[in-house]
Amino acid sequence: MAKKDVNITINGKEYSSKVEPRLLLVHFIRDVAGLTGTHVGCDTSNCGACTVVLDGKAVKSCTVLAVQADNKRITTVEGLARNGKLHPVQEAFVDKHGLQCGYCTSGMLMTSFWLLQKNHNPTEKEIREALSGNLCRCTGYENIVKAVKEAAKEISAEQNKDLVREEPIEA
Amino acid sequence: MKSEEKFVRGLGQFIDDIKFPNMLYMSVVRSDYARARLLKVKGGINAKVFNHPLAAVGEGAMSGFERAQHMVFASEFVNYLGEPIAAVYADDPYKSEDLISSVEVDYDPLKPVIDPEKALDAEPIHSGFKSNIISEKWLGKDFKNDSPIVLEDSFRNNRIVTNPIEPRGVIANYDGKRLTLWIGTQSVFSIREGICAAMDLPPENVHIIQADTGGAFGSKGGLYPEYVMASYIAMKEKRPVKWIETRREHLMASHPGRGAMAKMKLYADRTGKVTGLRGEILVDSGAYAGGTGEFSSRFIAHQLTGQYHIEQAYIRALSVFTNKVPQGPYRGAGRPEAAFFTERMMDMLADELKMDPFELRLLNATEQPFVSPTGLKIGASKPFMIKARKELGYVPYEATKDTGVAMFVLVPAAQPGESARVRSEDGRIKVWLGGNVHGQGHEDFVKKIINEELGVKEELVELELGDTDAMEAGIGSWGSRSAMMGGSAVTVAARKVRDQVSKKFGSYSVSKLLSGSFDVYEFFSYKDSYNSFGSNLAKVSVDSYGRIKVLEDRSYYDLGRILNRQMVRGQIVGGNLQGIGQTLSENIEFDDEGQLLTSSISEAGLLTSEITTKYTVKFDETPSDLPSGAKGLGEAPTIGTPSAIARAVEVYTGKRIRDTPIKLS
Repeated sequence: MAKKDVNITINGKEYSSKVEPRLLLVHFIRDVAGLTGTHVGCDTSNCGACTVVLDGKAVKSCTVLAVQADNKRITTVEGLARNGKLHPVQEAFVDKHGLQCGYCTSGMLMTSFWLLQKNHNPTEKEIREALSGNLCRCTGYENIVKAVKEAAKEISAEQNKDLVREEPIEA
Repeated sequence: MKSEEKFVRGLGQFIDDIKFPNMLYMSVVRSDYARARLLKVKGGINAKVFNHPLAAVGEGAMSGFERAQHMVFASEFVNYLGEPIAAVYADDPYKSEDLISSVEVDYDPLKPVIDPEKALDAEPIHSGFKSNIISEKWLGKDFKNDSPIVLEDSFRNNRIVTNPIEPRGVIANYDGKRLTLWIGTQSVFSIREGICAAMDLPPENVHIIQADTGGAFGSKGGLYPEYVMASYIAMKEKRPVKWIETRREHLMASHPGRGAMAKMKLYADRTGKVTGLRGEILVDSGAYAGGTGEFSSRFIAHQLTGQYHIEQAYIRALSVFTNKVPQGPYRGAGRPEAAFFTERMMDMLADELKMDPFELRLLNATEQPFVSPTGLKIGASKPFMIKARKELGYVPYEATKDTGVAMFVLVPAAQPGESARVRSEDGRIKVWLGGNVHGQGHEDFVKKIINEELGVKEELVELELGDTDAMEAGIGSWGSRSAMMGGSAVTVAARKVRDQVSKKFGSYSVSKLLSGSFDVYEFFSYKDSYNSFGSNLAKVSVDSYGRIKVLEDRSYYDLGRILNRQMVRGQIVGGNLQGIGQTLSENIEFDDEGQLLTSSISEAGLLTSEITTKYTVKFDETPSDLPSGAKGLGEAPTIGTPSAIARAVEVYTGKRIRDTPIKLS
């Protein structure tokens, strides 16, 4: 298969590579960029463990080809912390025990981050709808929903609004 | 860094995140048929070059049954859809997957045996067996009973796939002397035992290192053929070999749980006192020995007398071969099945006598410790039930409208105890456990115990992942045993460290401990059972389409000492949702030809965040007399929830509920 040049900006840093057209975005992120925080959990785009934010939208990166993301900007779980400090949504997941085994967590965080970008003050129903494409087998979702609510409180404080801008302040 | 912070930063090192230079990627060629004669296999690594059986290791795994052993690669016959036939590999995972189609396999399809009831009379799937029955045991004693009330019914809990969000995976590497496996697992020592047996290697030449493990629920405790294949290829090629399961492979070829049926017969007098219990348990063991099928029917039968004083019981426990992947443990592993079968009969008796279901249960509770005819040891259940009625907020009127309750006994896998190692070095404490964490928060109870026993600040304590080189022995993380047994091992090891410090310095202080290097390995041995009680109350509504909504799931459990409240509640609520899943939607379905009708993790019925059940969690915290003070926990919510929901749906709809998942249409 003829390889294609792609250039993808992930967490503010550019990654260029020649890739097979069939290469999935999730494998570009994990294997080319070496960012293994984005996980693969199923083959059918059901579990959401691979969720990243691509040009302002939460997408399942196992359902996007790397070539489709050419010249686009992506935020992954590694891009949430600012200057080493956890993002409020990360803080809240730790504080509210919103994770157990930690495998679905990156996808949950990215979907939550995207939701809070669009909606600083989501209702419980809106949170549950937004997360319904991300499966968790450990927590029963209760503490994940609590964590998103807590993160929303932090983010809706005026001085924190920039925290949900997609591009991290510093890569 | 605490593991939770590591995971939210995306810095976990799960098995697929580990990469070595020069690594090979393995893919597996699997059977397209549930049963067939293999006429030809050409290409890849197959049974012609490596023809070894899988050793039975891990929780409740069957050994023996030489003519029905699971081989690493199928040779003359295949006996389940997805059974491994050959392995291929390349230096890129995409290329490796492409190679699957390069292996030629010719089959002569045979009629498979899919239904466990039909398996009883069907022609045996393995030659050398007289029937498909692999195990038949009788528990209790035959009895005569002329009680006026005799009720009979039959039940089924369908198979469920464990479906942790992280699939199974392994990396094998061989340096010419030692074989090393990195793996997501519940038990590095079970994996080592299995690899040694399958590869004919002594334990000192096999090193198992646990990677961060993204959930397991029973499916990562034992040995699977893929781990052996990767080991073989690593030794052959002298290169690291990685295998990561796809979700479809997980649905086809990881050991699923449940898959049990029961015929029950309950004898009672007119006051509601149960006088006798007969039963027949039938477990769908799947195609080979090595899973839990043989153990499972006996284990269910053992628990069937529940929290009740039943003087007479006689239970037949049967396990049968079918042309399906071998059965394995799934959170609860025989316990939820037993509770379901017993509690469904208790509700039936309550209805027969028009009694309040809770009153009926209280009437049959025991006021003294009791050993049932099936050998189940329990304490006095009546005081527990009285407390449960209050703590669950039980209202008799609601029990006729939308509410169900369930009582159960949690039988943890207490034996044979567990190991721990506590080491003080460079001003920090490192701890290892024989049972390996995969999401249950072992780290938190370890930090708490070390802080209590040795006075060391929690931030100076680290729980290491499993490693066979770090300890002499270890059991595993399953059967609700970690805080009670692992916690006890850490406690005893910590006390011994304290003694060492005192001996060396004349007295103990934290600074003396942290200034020196001390190292204690302890196997906390335990040879008895340590059963405890639990109860659930569920409230439901059902719409005109038969869609069930679980409005509430209340839990009241006897947990002993609570080592971390947030963690305990998290475990219980997560398990409650798994119990709801089993009851409402989770299933793995095959057609008559043994082809899988469940093609994705969503079709397997995993519930999403849109389920809005209200959870109430309460517990009795009277400490156990074990060093950790803890009792069994992890499986409790998956045991009580299905039975409570089944009853709630029954009273709401007026339809008798016999199976999970419940199908109302």
